[in-house]
Amino acid sequence: MRTVFIVARKELVDLFRDRRTVALSLLLMPILFPALILGAVGLAESKARTQLEKTLRLPVIGAEHAPNLIRFLRAQNIEAEPAPEDPDAEVRAQTFDAVLRISPDFADNWRSSRSAQVELIYDSSREDSRIPVARVRGAIEQYNRTLAVLRTMHRGMSPEVLQPVRIAQRDVATPESKRGMLLAFLPYLLILSSFLGGAYLVIDVTAGERERQSLEPLLATPASRSAIMSGKILAAIIFGMLSLSLILVGFKVSLAVAPGSLRIVNPSWQLLFQLLLVLLPMVLIGTTLLTLISASVKSVKEAQSYMTVLMLLPMVPTFLLMVNPIKNQLWQFTVPFLAQNQLILRLVRGETVSFEEWAVYIVTSLVLGLILWIAAARLYHQERLAISA
Amino acid sequence: MIEVDNLHKTFQSKSGPVHAVRGVSFRAPDGQITGLLGPNGAGKTTTLRMLYTLMTPDKGSVRVDGLDAHRDATAARQRLGVLPDARSIYKRLTARENIEYFGRLHGLDKATIARRIETLAQTLGIDFLDRRAEGFSQGERTKTAIARALVHDPRNVILDEPTNGLDVMTTRSLREFLQRLRAEGRCVIFSSHIMQEVAALCDRIVVIAGGQVRAIGTPDELRATTGESDLENVFVRLTRSESES
Repeated sequence: MRTVFIVARKELVDLFRDRRTVALSLLLMPILFPALILGAVGLAESKARTQLEKTLRLPVIGAEHAPNLIRFLRAQNIEAEPAPEDPDAEVRAQTFDAVLRISPDFADNWRSSRSAQVELIYDSSREDSRIPVARVRGAIEQYNRTLAVLRTMHRGMSPEVLQPVRIAQRDVATPESKRGMLLAFLPYLLILSSFLGGAYLVIDVTAGERERQSLEPLLATPASRSAIMSGKILAAIIFGMLSLSLILVGFKVSLAVAPGSLRIVNPSWQLLFQLLLVLLPMVLIGTTLLTLISASVKSVKEAQSYMTVLMLLPMVPTFLLMVNPIKNQLWQFTVPFLAQNQLILRLVRGETVSFEEWAVYIVTSLVLGLILWIAAARLYHQERLAISA
Repeated sequence: MIEVDNLHKTFQSKSGPVHAVRGVSFRAPDGQITGLLGPNGAGKTTTLRMLYTLMTPDKGSVRVDGLDAHRDATAARQRLGVLPDARSIYKRLTARENIEYFGRLHGLDKATIARRIETLAQTLGIDFLDRRAEGFSQGERTKTAIARALVHDPRNVILDEPTNGLDVMTTRSLREFLQRLRAEGRCVIFSSHIMQEVAALCDRIVVIAGGQVRAIGTPDELRATTGESDLENVFVRLTRSESES
């Protein structure tokens, strides 16, 4: 046990003397991640605001057939303009968000109180035209209702005949669950940085030390190999947790100074602490897995080539949940990455996590960490580990 | 004292098994310097690695002060001071911290480590204890590595090609240091591929070539058996006879 602390202390001293590397890995993420998330959210918000408030220029085909509608649209801040030759192609080419076509028989139908047809041409697969299209559609529907009310009243009927059912909407989203929506990317970023945050350190202290030819004298000391390995793992876990804490504090600080709707989602210290608790087993799993890899490969380069695959792993549950959202069930807390993903989302949304769920999560991930640790220790005891190429 | 009996080691390589060490036996008594002499690739490093318990022999045994080096590996390691072929020191630690780290891994307390470092720094001429190892010369690195290997005051000292890459002055002071270890009654084994160096230092020479012991004896005995007076010729004769046979 003493050996573990001796090795961990030496590795941390050694690491922290490498000022530039430490500064980059400890400070870059806490600045970059919040900037990324806040930047993305902020950008989306400001774009939505401009799309909602700016005068919308809408190409209209056959504007002359419905001057009243055009006037109504202008009152709704939608300005009609001459339409292009081939509206379908232009919309597909993203020149316009939407094009309105008013059929030539609009006026005739209108006068005889039949349904007059307008056609809205848009591309439903385009995310950024959603708001303009909704604006146009909303304006036309409002025009529709106004006219319907006028016509029924004109015929001496109550306008309520037109509304057999009336929908009242109530959004039960709490500020916390809106926070969850805003921070949809948070789980992936946190899981990735806990899983691979200390990666280069882990690779360096095993594969790197072997490549630099200092592992052989180290293993020739009476200190047990498992203890030496555990010391290296402990150092990486301490470093990983430090880096995660800084990232979380970075989030808290930047949310506190963030503009607009993000201000309301300022996380509490208790939440940050719970997030750290969720991520601790992930750090353990990542570190032991990388130690296992580093002890089995011939060089640092070979160890690093595993990184691409490892970076994709935490994405799997995020994608699965995006395509196929599943309700919370107990078994999910046993699956690495999925468990962290669900737990982080629930904590951030302000939902409670039961004792049972915590227990299942902590126990299964510690068991997984232990299995990886044993496997890595076995490799550490192999003869060829000490022998530098 | 280190006793080696009939060591064998085979490695698997792409072109089939390589029989690196085939039946090496010798005895290195206390208070003597034993030289392991052989050309590159003779199996010296592999033999030494089995001596300091990093490799397990396929066959044969190593006894350190009477302890079986593989059944009692930890106890054996405590009695061994090892300067391996791969002997990098940690660049971002000072020379003192490098030595201290190994002292702690040997389970020594702070006061003992400090005392040992003073002694070793004096005998090895280390006047750069508190400088970071980044930018050390080859000689400074080797001196630090030797001090690190001997921090626990071991009875038996194994050095794999200790003079590799050292200049004349440093080699000479290293030679004096080894003689001092002998005078203190320790068992010293070192390997080299330079006949002159081995002859100048060793009480006994073990000539290894092709993974086998070619000859054992004092420099004079080797001269007598080969009938050559020039040391280089002795070496060439002893190692070549193996490749022809």
